[in-house]
Amino acid sequence: MRPPTIVLAWLLATPLAAPSRATAAPAGEVRAWPGEEMPLPLAVRTPQDLAVKAAAEKQYLIFNLLAGGKLAFDGGDFATAAAKWEALLRVPGLDPDLEKLIRPLAHDARARAGGQATAAAPTGAPAGAAGVGPAVSSAARAAALAPLATVSGTVSGGGGQGPGGAVVWLKRASGETPHPAPAHGKVVSQRSKIFVPHVLVVPVGSKVSFKNEDPIFHNIFSLSKPNEFDTGLYKQGATYTQTFKRPGVVQLLCNIHSSMLGFVYVVDTPWYAQAEASGAFTIKGVPPGEYEVSVWHEAATKPTTTHLTVGADGVHGLALRVAGDRRAPQFLPDKSGKPRQSHLGY
Amino acid sequence: MPEEEPINDSEGYSPEGGGAPAGLSINGYIDVGFAKAQGDGTSFAPGDLRLPADYGVDTFATAVNSRGDVASTDSNGRFVNGFLPRSAGIGGRPSFLLNTLDVDLRYVTPGAPLMLFSRVQFLPRFTGDGDATRVYVEQAFGRLVPFDSQELAIAVGKFDSVFGIEYLDNQANIRTGITPSLVARYTTGQSIGAKVFYRVQIAPAWSALSLNVAATNSGNFVESLQPPDASLGDAPVGSGRLGYELNTPGVQAKLGVSGMYGPRNDQYDRSALQQAWGADLRVAVAGLALAAEYVHVDEDEGGIKTTSLGIFPLASAFYARGGYVQLAYALAVDVGPLRKLTVYGRYDRRHAAFGGYTPITVDRFTGGLRLDLWESLILKGEYLDNRELAGAPTVANNVLTTSLVYSY
Repeated sequence: MRPPTIVLAWLLATPLAAPSRATAAPAGEVRAWPGEEMPLPLAVRTPQDLAVKAAAEKQYLIFNLLAGGKLAFDGGDFATAAAKWEALLRVPGLDPDLEKLIRPLAHDARARAGGQATAAAPTGAPAGAAGVGPAVSSAARAAALAPLATVSGTVSGGGGQGPGGAVVWLKRASGETPHPAPAHGKVVSQRSKIFVPHVLVVPVGSKVSFKNEDPIFHNIFSLSKPNEFDTGLYKQGATYTQTFKRPGVVQLLCNIHSSMLGFVYVVDTPWYAQAEASGAFTIKGVPPGEYEVSVWHEAATKPTTTHLTVGADGVHGLALRVAGDRRAPQFLPDKSGKPRQSHLGY
Repeated sequence: MPEEEPINDSEGYSPEGGGAPAGLSINGYIDVGFAKAQGDGTSFAPGDLRLPADYGVDTFATAVNSRGDVASTDSNGRFVNGFLPRSAGIGGRPSFLLNTLDVDLRYVTPGAPLMLFSRVQFLPRFTGDGDATRVYVEQAFGRLVPFDSQELAIAVGKFDSVFGIEYLDNQANIRTGITPSLVARYTTGQSIGAKVFYRVQIAPAWSALSLNVAATNSGNFVESLQPPDASLGDAPVGSGRLGYELNTPGVQAKLGVSGMYGPRNDQYDRSALQQAWGADLRVAVAGLALAAEYVHVDEDEGGIKTTSLGIFPLASAFYARGGYVQLAYALAVDVGPLRKLTVYGRYDRRHAAFGGYTPITVDRFTGGLRLDLWESLILKGEYLDNRELAGAPTVANNVLTTSLVYSY
């Protein structure tokens, strides 16, 4: 028996340990790592040759998983990075210093990948392969391995505007909430001097394009810290793209048109939804566990937050309420913060 | 490979109507205050017996609120000629004030680029016979934006001045500080007529040019007694402002020149003219806001002066030159209910004279603090240090005033 070779064979056989090169590398971002083919073409003529080959292959695999994970991470392919580093952590006899270095990186990569691949992690890991997966409690890990559930319900309130557009999101009551994958292709148009959509929810790190569909200039901006931005003047058909890196509400305004008002709400969780006009909402892919559920609405001065237990069957018919205690602002500011009277000028 | 999408992806939400402003909205504010003026609350020097009394003093010195009401205009029975500003009637006594109850109605017509706006104000004032409340229709107009592709707006009705920049800050819930400048009387009045606003953007230079012109029954003076709504002569007053805006991400700068020309508000004789020109500047950068304005005013001598309180025999020629510089620094904070803290200071100076009377030069230093609480409450306090530099006796007429504005 050559235990290292067996372990290597298992690692390479798992989807996590040997992702295809096509899935590992977004075009132009991550180079396919050339050395994942095993075994190495080393001649074995003596027991010493065998020992040398086994040792070399182990080091070779460690190197490949270590460096390949880094390349994938740097290229933004967090799922591949997490898979490579999690596989690395399963290598028996891994240097403790290296394990100490990689474990938080793997955890971070898994969180950035949406935190959901953990549930699909191989369950056939060798006994004694301590440290497999993210560094979470056994209960949390068990929850993560359980089937994902759905949380649905209805938001009420919102004053005269009604509950439509309310943003609902879940965060773990204890422990770290996975970092969400950014959304792509999100657009807020300016159409007839109105933001369309009026409210958009995106995960943190998402890029949102602001597209001018009016035959006049717009100058979209936000003073909402820490997501403030300023598109400058841009004409019909032009698009400005902004990346929202921090969670929170982003009030959208136009420096030219003092009546224009919209919102982007940035969440730092993969579990979120936006209520329909009726208030109905659905959040998918929620691991069972304990959560804080929050609701934001433009007509409420602050989000409301309550505790929620999600079982294996999910939660259905959840009733949430937002206050309607905040009126639409009377005067919207220009980008220097000065209130404007919309009945004046243009 | 396709980019990974969040499992809970959303395309956003737009309410019925797309999120356009509500058809009818009702807003406004309540402005209450507490003020104390030195002396008897006027600028009349006890030993100065010149007549008319209001031609020899700084009648606007003891302002206590955003409307420019002064603490007192009590001349102890001496003859005045109708130029006195509005009075809160508190004299030199420390007093709580109910400055303004403002009600704004705005209606956006569905399916048409038309907006109707009215601003009605209830003005409780203290009189010798007890409290008296005036109901004042400050503005009422319709505004049409006829073209989707042009920044063009046409308004007809009673509306704000188009001269200078201080009219933008007339209201207590908008104004950085409490009191208006010493030249506000010449630029911030409302009139009935028609106005046109046009602006063109110069995108490569982050700039815009704008033109705002009006033809109205009367000029943009704030008249305390006479009815500026009426057109006594048979010709309108023309006024306008040409503006330039620089809007970069870090700096906003706005420049403008204004002019006004037409018959005096208080004359049936159209040959007695009022003329004014001015220049203004605003710069905003990193929480600092600088605003400055210069105004140059001339009124011809006229015949009998017609006011809502009667007929006065004199319509002297008048001129005024003056301006102000205001610097404010706003700091966004989030401490308890405090949302923003603003410190501000302003220097005003005015040189003016009625024909045949001694020119008067005065100035004023104003310093204040403003606290924005929650989203609807503003607490302001300021001190006005008034100085008579030439042509008028020195009077103890400094003012300490505060204002609490609740917007709804």
